Amino acid sequence: MSFDFNLILQSLPQMLAGLGITLQLLLVSGFLGLLLAILLLLMRISGKLYLDLIAQIYIYIFRGTPILVQIFIIYYGLPQFEAIRESMFWHILREPTGCAILALTLNTGAYVSEILRGGVLSVDKGLLEAGSALGMSARQKFIYITTPLATRLSLPAYSNDVISLLKSTALASTITITDMTGIARTIVADTYAPYEVFISLAMVYIIFTFGLQKLFGVIERYLSRHTVREE
Amino acid sequence: MEVLNGWWDDYFWGAIIVAEVFIASLFLMILFGLIGAGAKLSGNRLAQKTASAYTVIFRGTPEILVILLLYYGSAITLTAIAQIFNPEIRFVDVPPFWAGTIAISLIVGSYATETFRGAFLGVNPGSIEAARALGMSTLQTFIYIRIPEMWRIALPPFGNHMLSLTKDTALISIIGLNETLFVAKQAITVTGKPFTMYIVVGVIYLGFSTIITLSVMGIEKFGNRTTVGTR
Repeated sequence: MSFDFNLILQSLPQMLAGLGITLQLLLVSGFLGLLLAILLLLMRISGKLYLDLIAQIYIYIFRGTPILVQIFIIYYGLPQFEAIRESMFWHILREPTGCAILALTLNTGAYVSEILRGGVLSVDKGLLEAGSALGMSARQKFIYITTPLATRLSLPAYSNDVISLLKSTALASTITITDMTGIARTIVADTYAPYEVFISLAMVYIIFTFGLQKLFGVIERYLSRHTVREE
Repeated sequence: MEVLNGWWDDYFWGAIIVAEVFIASLFLMILFGLIGAGAKLSGNRLAQKTASAYTVIFRGTPEILVILLLYYGSAITLTAIAQIFNPEIRFVDVPPFWAGTIAISLIVGSYATETFRGAFLGVNPGSIEAARALGMSTLQTFIYIRIPEMWRIALPPFGNHMLSLTKDTALISIIGLNETLFVAKQAITVTGKPFTMYIVVGVIYLGFSTIITLSVMGIEKFGNRTTVGTR
């Protein structure tokens, strides 16, 4: 048993060929998940009990079950029904990529909506009172006061969730998708060299995570450019 | 529902395995978290650097990669070691239970490191000074002042870490642990009802999540019974 550096040099380009799919999964489900999260957030703060309750149950279910189980239910489970196989969604649900994006979107939406809600709830009440005093309507207050402040307040927690989403994209390899992890698993099955392949792939993910953290740091500093520095 | 007849006991034993993984990984996660937090708070530069590397690596790598690396990697290493003593041996592996449990404890332990570190730093310095003034030793201060104050701070994020451990257990089915998701796969090959079988898995995990969430809420109430509300 020895650490084979040549194997790393050979396998790294192969694994990086899957970077596109990993990125696609991250960006598409990250974007759609954010839209879903905003919808769930609006349902939760709408003040209508039935909307609030539906959103709460949704969040409870998707945060309480493993993402792998959600992926399997969507990819292997849904085709059990004739109605799904004949519906217009079938061309998405037939493809593993479509299923992975759907599962990741539904999952991350539940987590992100709670993060956004935390941001909305921590907006200073005094500012909203000031808005009312200026004669702003509830909608105006939400758009001009709550939204910009809540965005900044929820950004640190949101960046953590994007990183978890990146890590969750690796689970797409369990439903035959050839993302970076999927390719790595194929190489290991051929060469039986888990250390070389998995450790070098882990490095790729760590660099990726690090880059995302830096990116969010920049955005956070940009959004806080008007605020007074504490300390 | 009749399709589930005959599988209930398999699911039950699968659920018992989920509970076993949870208990074992909970202890290991606390251990790794405390060691990590201790190293980060110690004055030793080498210990600090090692702990930082630990958190960066395990928070940046997908869970599935850590599990696969630990399982296949340990198998290769152990086989190589065993062959030194007895060349007849073809293959030795760590049971998936322990490879998986150690993997998820290492991952969640890296998050717990930050939680414990923050909680120890959150202990009121006034309380520690008061303990000194009363003539308590460092050990006494640690046991009677630091620990009771820090665990109240650490509890809410710690509850989330316990939920992560439970949900990550599903990933261990990938290396062959016969927990509920693994049971479902076997049931599907016989019955051909993937949706039904995976939904049962989802419900079992949701049950575990609910029990943990409710327990954490109860413990939080108990922990704060003597503190005055701050808001």
